Amino acid sequence: MTDLTEPAAPEREALEREIHRIGGEIAGAFPSSARHPVRALDARAMELASSDRELKAALFRFVDVVPACRSLDDLARHLRGFLDEVPDAPLPIAAAMRVSNTKAGRTALGAAAASGVKHMAHRFIIGETPSSALGVLRGLWDRGAASSVDLLGEATVTQAEADRYAERCNDALQRLAAAARKWPERPILEHDSAGPLPRANVSVKVSALTPLLRPDAPERGRRDAAQRMRPLLEHAQRLGAHLHIDMESLDSREAVLDLVLELLSEEQFRSGPSAGIVLQAYLRDSPELAATILDWAASSQRTPPLTVRLVKGAYWDHELVQARQHGWSVPVFEVKADCDRNFETLTGTLLRARPNIRVAIASHNLRSVSNAIAYNRLLGGDDSDLELQVLRGLGDELQDALAAKGFRVRTYCPVGDLVAGMAYLVRRLLENTSNESFLSEQARGVPLDQLLAAP
Amino acid sequence: MILQPFANEPILELRRASVRAGLDDAMAGVDAQLPMRVPVMIGGDERFEASLVSTDPGEPERVVAESAHATGGEVDAAVATARAGARDWASRTAEERAEVLLAAAAWMRERRLELAALEVRECAKPWPEADADVCEAIDFLEYYARGAIELAAAPELVQVPGERNELRYVPRGVAAVVAPWNFPIAIPCGMTAGALATGNTVVLKPAEQAPGCALRIVQALRAGGVPPGAISLLPGEGDVGAALVRHRDVQTIAFTGSQPVGLEIIRAAADVVPGQRYLKQVVAELGGKNCVIVDADADLDEAVPGIVSSAFIYAGQKCSAAARVLVHEAIADQLIDRVAGAVSVLDVGRADQLATEVPPVIERAAKERVDRYAQIAQRDGRIAARAEPVPDRGWFCPPTVAVDLPPGSPVLEEEIFGPLLAIERVRNVEQACDIVDGLPFALTGGLFARDPSTVRYVRGRTPVGNLYVNRGITGAMVGRQPFGGNRLSGNGTKAGGPDYLRHFVEPRALTENTMRHGLEV
Repeated sequence: MTDLTEPAAPEREALEREIHRIGGEIAGAFPSSARHPVRALDARAMELASSDRELKAALFRFVDVVPACRSLDDLARHLRGFLDEVPDAPLPIAAAMRVSNTKAGRTALGAAAASGVKHMAHRFIIGETPSSALGVLRGLWDRGAASSVDLLGEATVTQAEADRYAERCNDALQRLAAAARKWPERPILEHDSAGPLPRANVSVKVSALTPLLRPDAPERGRRDAAQRMRPLLEHAQRLGAHLHIDMESLDSREAVLDLVLELLSEEQFRSGPSAGIVLQAYLRDSPELAATILDWAASSQRTPPLTVRLVKGAYWDHELVQARQHGWSVPVFEVKADCDRNFETLTGTLLRARPNIRVAIASHNLRSVSNAIAYNRLLGGDDSDLELQVLRGLGDELQDALAAKGFRVRTYCPVGDLVAGMAYLVRRLLENTSNESFLSEQARGVPLDQLLAAP
Repeated sequence: MILQPFANEPILELRRASVRAGLDDAMAGVDAQLPMRVPVMIGGDERFEASLVSTDPGEPERVVAESAHATGGEVDAAVATARAGARDWASRTAEERAEVLLAAAAWMRERRLELAALEVRECAKPWPEADADVCEAIDFLEYYARGAIELAAAPELVQVPGERNELRYVPRGVAAVVAPWNFPIAIPCGMTAGALATGNTVVLKPAEQAPGCALRIVQALRAGGVPPGAISLLPGEGDVGAALVRHRDVQTIAFTGSQPVGLEIIRAAADVVPGQRYLKQVVAELGGKNCVIVDADADLDEAVPGIVSSAFIYAGQKCSAAARVLVHEAIADQLIDRVAGAVSVLDVGRADQLATEVPPVIERAAKERVDRYAQIAQRDGRIAARAEPVPDRGWFCPPTVAVDLPPGSPVLEEEIFGPLLAIERVRNVEQACDIVDGLPFALTGGLFARDPSTVRYVRGRTPVGNLYVNRGITGAMVGRQPFGGNRLSGNGTKAGGPDYLRHFVEPRALTENTMRHGLEV
């Protein structure tokens, strides 16, 4: 059997031209009023935060503590406390600190800050419950975007918490599937060459399904999570819904990977439900992980094919700090260009592995997205056999542009209350205020050609 | 001698299956050598007889080591040998001694898994903890080797015309090291390394529960080049330690262990016996009753795992372990509920199983002590969680969480040294600080809070030697968290910190008149 490998040099040049052409087209389709996704955030706060490390830390710590504050006064005290630690506070901040010297001032400041954080959170979190999120999901569908619902939760440390999370997942599957039946037909979002694609799509976290995950001893947590994952898979199968198992930090990767491959190999799940896994391109050993997944997919012949969502990875800071603290070799790429190159290599690896898998490329980096589209076409693949994914609140404009150009785009939509959402929110903010992030480069007005240049 | 800056020995990355795969072989290798034979080692002489045994706490029929029991005459002989050995060892430069200690560290590094496996067997330290302990032993050797070189560089004094002033730190002489079993390689190795690095000679009296681990330390040091006269080993029970610390010619006593024994040593050290020509210096690291304060704005997702691991890892048998949680009443129900749920699923099992979170306690007497306190907790308060059943062979105690205990309950005041945690409600952080301030212990403490002013307040009011904010309260790292307590928890000597070595040396100042007949020469 001949396998298509990396494109040769002349093809490489043609591919680059295609990437630039496609990137230009998509950029042209961005809603003109908001070329810059960072505008989705409180632009001024983010600009301040990105420019000053201390201030950024103070604001993040504040956002993080908001749900634990008991009153507006308490909230303002916290804000003041964090800002006090910033050595040279910019003017607007200094003004806020003066206001917080009186009780009335603190109440006002607390109210303003609370509403600011809520506003920011609502950009990323579409509702407190699946029911309250149905309107947004339907709206997305009408705009040409499919969705995957992610249930935010506090850390699971008890069996009761794991049971509650599983129950919420079941409930979400049920409600989404029922509501989605009434949605109008959208062929591009519902079919690829492997067959139908479920409308109801839920992303779950293994760490929330068991309190027993331990990095040093993954078996016990995996067994415990399996007991809750099996009914979820059965439920998804009955409803014709898709269940996507998210990847988290490296501490749980082995347990998650083994769990998914093991369960999906079981006889009862050989022909459903539609299910997926995540590959994190920032991990240096992600090519080996991809090989493990693809070997499994090739030998299992399961239908529908496993969906592999390729992401950059959301725990970069955590992985780096943890490795440095312990003196371990850093498991993630430390240079952004290395990570971007690996992302493109893995995009190729996955696209070439079809039809054994389905491929979802999840990125806000126009270069990475354009590369996936161009390379798919180079391989002779149909656009419908490539899914593109974005995050709610960060990728909204890209989502609309991709939908407008006729691509299948799926938006990852967190659902949950503010307490549970904070860890998620802080990770997203971290990602977005990194000066190297694509979105912030785009917002700074880096020319399109440069944005689309090979990493 | 050019040395790299100190860096902690990296613990095993056990989250990787390839790393875990090596553990079983290491364990089999150690098992094949059991029981170890631990002799009395004095200078070049060894005497073995099977007087005492150490056993696997998870399987008490398994004998890990047979050891000799040092006699009173051997205590005298060991001290005399150390006195004689001091002439050679003290005459070497700090660099020369450092080289030897680094070679000992290298010997241990080559045998990390084997040494950790021995701790798993002899002290029921679960693998990750045992590995961390071996790393810490290596860290002590590396850290004190460097520290002694720095200490040897004379500090700057004020100089005026006509005189030359100089301050040197010289070895005190013979050091008695009396060690515990709970960090069976790290702590005895650390105390010994501190003494040796600064040019003292050492007589090591290990815990009778861990003679096998102690033998490996002596082997490492001798393999690295410590002369036999500079390190002797006296296995035995409490009477050996008691005779050693009372010995006329012991100048420094380094002790880590229980408060009653520590106080006894301090008393004995103060007593000048006929013929004694030194004031004995005592380095004491004693127990604790460590409190974790949880304020209303704490992130419980962090606090719960932090509290549970601090209280129950290694069955609570760390002097740094959490014994009491003082939680703001606004979130107390939630915290108790989550901690109870997390404790009830703890995996209690044998230390050689990687899934084990709570191993057995060290011996029968320890189990009986912990069970007694658990009964008091049940009688005086309410048991919020207990992880049962536990294996019936071996010295297992079910991890337990007690609440609603009345003030003054022994469960709240005495060091239990086992898997029993008490949670109490407080009105606010001030009240929590009052409680902490009322304790005679001051070893470690914890705070989960996010308001920076709360952190400043608690830091200002807490007497503990090691305060940890928004993390677990165990696992001090050499060079990063100088470890040791205040008040009745210890005399503030801070193992693994920049001041530790000063306790093993005596300062000597020299002033020389450089004027001769009106001329400066």
